[in-house]
Amino acid sequence: MKPDINIALLNAAQEIINRFSPLIEDEYERSRLGSWGALILISAMKFNDASSSLKKENGDIVKWLKNHTKLRKEELEKFESCEDKNLDQLEQDNQNLREILDKQIQEIQVKEDNVLFREGIYLMRSMHQRRKVSDLIGMLQQQES
Amino acid sequence: MSKDLTSAFLSYYSEFQKKEYSLISLERIFGGASRETYKIILNDDSNKKERLILRLSQDSSLIETEQRTEYLAYSAFQESNVPVPVLIDMSEENTELGAPFMLMRELNGEAASPFTPNIYAPHENELGEQFWSILGEIAKKKIDSDIYEDFIGETERPFWKNELDKWVKIIHEDSIGIEPILEAGIRHLYKYPPNESEIISMVHGDYRSGNFLYAENKITGILDWEMAHLGDPLEDLGWALSPIWSWQDKERPAYLVKREDAISIWEATSDISLNKDDLQWWELFAAIKGMAIWISAGNEFKSGKNIDPINLFSAWIPGDIHLEIILDILERNT
Repeated sequence: MKPDINIALLNAAQEIINRFSPLIEDEYERSRLGSWGALILISAMKFNDASSSLKKENGDIVKWLKNHTKLRKEELEKFESCEDKNLDQLEQDNQNLREILDKQIQEIQVKEDNVLFREGIYLMRSMHQRRKVSDLIGMLQQQES
Repeated sequence: MSKDLTSAFLSYYSEFQKKEYSLISLERIFGGASRETYKIILNDDSNKKERLILRLSQDSSLIETEQRTEYLAYSAFQESNVPVPVLIDMSEENTELGAPFMLMRELNGEAASPFTPNIYAPHENELGEQFWSILGEIAKKKIDSDIYEDFIGETERPFWKNELDKWVKIIHEDSIGIEPILEAGIRHLYKYPPNESEIISMVHGDYRSGNFLYAENKITGILDWEMAHLGDPLEDLGWALSPIWSWQDKERPAYLVKREDAISIWEATSDISLNKDDLQWWELFAAIKGMAIWISAGNEFKSGKNIDPINLFSAWIPGDIHLEIILDILERNT
């Protein structure tokens, strides 16, 4: 069993932040390298979940569209089979689904259907919660201090 | 920093001041992707030290802005109740230093990261009083007619639409993918516009924690005016109050005083009576404008035009936070 890619990234980030960055005298270059360390740290934290998060997000959007819109189910079925899809294909599906979702949300806003809009916000929030990296900001500050 | 810039600067400045100078140091300051900013220390021929700040345009920057905009904005507030650096020179040409630039005297004080909680402790109350009252001073400042004419020439009414159109255009030009949260926020703003302001103010455009200098309990300078324009004073207030600048303590905007105190100080100084619905519009606008800036940064990074890590950081962290703020505001309004 080899060390995982995210572990390699995590260690690289630690080395950059704690070992190499302090050796640089030029303040600008030191800060720039430290920022790269922090960004690699974030990448490491999110790396393992990238594919499963996209699958989950695409599934959630399809489910929401089926339950809350009049879109034909056949139109959405192509997004449901995702077992053999690589990350790029999942990302492409995600963009297509986001475009469909956006159009539906637009219609809901035009109709001023607040109940359905709230359901839309609920979905969008769950998508955002899964995807966001801003919750790592506290950890980054700890690394830098 | 490159020897080219060092020698070009010495040559230019000696010619400009008609004196001989020797360089003690020239260091680039990290952060802020709109300009390359350098701290320069020189000795003149009588051995007198000069401390300067040079702002150089970048080939590729987050938001394309002209040096002239920032220079005029600083000019508008020289020797006023709004502390700004003393201007020395500005050039829109590439001839002297290889890029347009602005030169000013360095002010005493330091700038904080806007993402570090409690950064102003134990002086958050005194600094908060000054921060919000200076913003009130900006809102009520009568702008010199020459500067006013220069700015108003580019400005269409209503102000809210002029600003919203500008930033939405950037979003749609630079977006890497579709973001339904952002689009829903944009539609909300167009559907429920604010009242057009009767007051025309100089809007700083990026008045926030991190864009001012302070020395212990005193604000010594308001910086980074490159997005300045004429418009609704609530635009700056909405931007400065945004929870992004105090994400780990949302009750105290900019990690200074409490929100209601901040608004009271601003109202008392600006003599403007606040319309809360209008302010709410400008707070949502602030998140949309922020997204435009972060999207633009992400585009710069992805396209390889500028791989400064601050561009990736901007697209990831502040971009996430502003999306969450848009969701919060939409939810409150539904």
